[in-house]
Amino acid sequence: MNLRLTHFLMWLAFIALMFAIPEFVSKGTLRTLIFANFLAIFAISWDVLSGRTGYISFGHPFLIGIGAYTSAILTKRFDVPIELAIPAAVAMTMVGGVVVFLPALRIKGSYFALVTLAFMELMYQLVQVIRPDLTGGTRGMSGVQTLTRGAVNGYYLSVSLMLAVALSMWLLMRTQLGTALSAVGMNEESVRGSGLSVTKLKLFAFLTSAFVAGLGGAFYVHYLGSIAPRALFDINFLFTIIVAALIGGASTIIGPVIGAFFLTFLLEYLRPYLPGAERYFIYGMIALLLYMYEPKGLIAIFSKGWQRLRGGAGSEQSSAS
Amino acid sequence: MQIIIQGLLLSGLYALIAMGFTLIFSVGRVLNLAYGAYLLIGGYVYFTISQTLGVPKLIGLFIAAIVGCMVGLLKYRLLVKPLKGNHVAVEISTLILAVVLQAGVVFIYGDSSKILLPIVAGVTQVAGASVTYNLLAATMASWTILIGLYFFVRKTHVGRAMQAVSMDTRGASISGVDPDKINMFTWGLSGALGATAGVFFASYTQLSPSMWVAPLIISVAVVIVGGIGSIIGTLIVAHIVGFMEVLAVAVIAPELRGVFTMLLIIGVLVVRPQGLFGREEL
Repeated sequence: MNLRLTHFLMWLAFIALMFAIPEFVSKGTLRTLIFANFLAIFAISWDVLSGRTGYISFGHPFLIGIGAYTSAILTKRFDVPIELAIPAAVAMTMVGGVVVFLPALRIKGSYFALVTLAFMELMYQLVQVIRPDLTGGTRGMSGVQTLTRGAVNGYYLSVSLMLAVALSMWLLMRTQLGTALSAVGMNEESVRGSGLSVTKLKLFAFLTSAFVAGLGGAFYVHYLGSIAPRALFDINFLFTIIVAALIGGASTIIGPVIGAFFLTFLLEYLRPYLPGAERYFIYGMIALLLYMYEPKGLIAIFSKGWQRLRGGAGSEQSSAS
Repeated sequence: MQIIIQGLLLSGLYALIAMGFTLIFSVGRVLNLAYGAYLLIGGYVYFTISQTLGVPKLIGLFIAAIVGCMVGLLKYRLLVKPLKGNHVAVEISTLILAVVLQAGVVFIYGDSSKILLPIVAGVTQVAGASVTYNLLAATMASWTILIGLYFFVRKTHVGRAMQAVSMDTRGASISGVDPDKINMFTWGLSGALGATAGVFFASYTQLSPSMWVAPLIISVAVVIVGGIGSIIGTLIVAHIVGFMEVLAVAVIAPELRGVFTMLLIIGVLVVRPQGLFGREEL
């Protein structure tokens, strides 16, 4: 497992910092932070699948959308209590994860990415056409039951969820299973050669990723209280998730979290200067430059800088806000 | 009859759109997710030059193609070449670039969509179907370009070099072909084709900052289903996709126009990843 006390101390410090934040910042900032938390969950989910196993998913909004839509439909149209709707949504998303997994048995690389992209677009078009009485069609649904009221409660909920997901994924990746998953990303053949079932490992990665995506999606819709196809099955949304994971640092847990916070705040600080979609211009440029400069992400930049300062081992910790 | 005519016209447009994407995929072996952005750039450049400044349309089209070509070259120099060999990185960075370009267009032209006047005005009736000269011109341009491209690749020295690079980069460089130059050339050509297709596509639908997604999906479908780098395959599949769309709109419901295209991509990729007409050459 290779767990050391310092790791836990760092996690404790990180958790304490995250929980202390509402004491110091305004409500508006808190709302931004909530989005950053959700984005971090989605980015972790993407990273578990794509960052580790190398199966680049361009269809992550597909999974998140299944989770969000299932929970929203169950609570709003069938009056299922929220406590049941969210597990059901997660289960549904895992079924979706299996659907995405099937093509991965045969194809990989660019082709797999394309299939997942097609899944997303397919879902976007189907949601509007099939049973608009359930899904709300093009305009989506509003007035979905929300879990919390007020920014502070919402923040605590989202940050707890994010930390729980991050911590459990971090622990998972420290196990032999996690190592095996990363090995799939490096060389599938040699994993097979070591007598491990690549298929089972891949299935596990897809299911875990779908689990996190469904959880995030379901909670997200119950935080927002509304859902619309164009906001969800959108290339910009996909772009934000992937960029968050990559900018922060793929194949780490803290990386996507850092990336998500970095991007959300970047977007927020640009708002006064560029109110509309133009923000994505600067935002994308920064993302592109960072990615070209250091494909391993901010985390690699930080740890290099830290090493240069200390001459010692790299540190994962960094201020999140 | 109406369906056949509309299908033929739409398919011609789609073949034109997919062509540039096929070129890059077969020669450079990279998925250029920013391909749709060429169409975007082409459409908006044409809009600025011809509709706002009032320059003759053919010159506008020409300038749009040149700008597309420049963008393609820049993209190859600044993005693809530094990341050489890392396909995932190229795909992701082109995706980011596409979003950046889209935002750039929003920055300059605003968020609302614009109507592009037809390149060739007028409507005619063919066997009960109303055919705009505009779409007809697009189809004819598409066929001309496709046939030209086919012979270019088959008969000229540069075309053969492109084939060689697409088959075996190292072998090509041993035979005295500079793969870098050929790649540059292909990226430029692909950009010019994309921008030209963009002008026609924009005049067929409308000009909006998010207009790059649909053509990207179409070209992905055409290239995937047709198999990498087969011009004939591209042509055939463009017709399959075009006719499926027209049929879906006419027979089932207009909202479902893209659904069958997606199902086709998923189905073909899962069942036959090399594509229906897959060959490893151009």
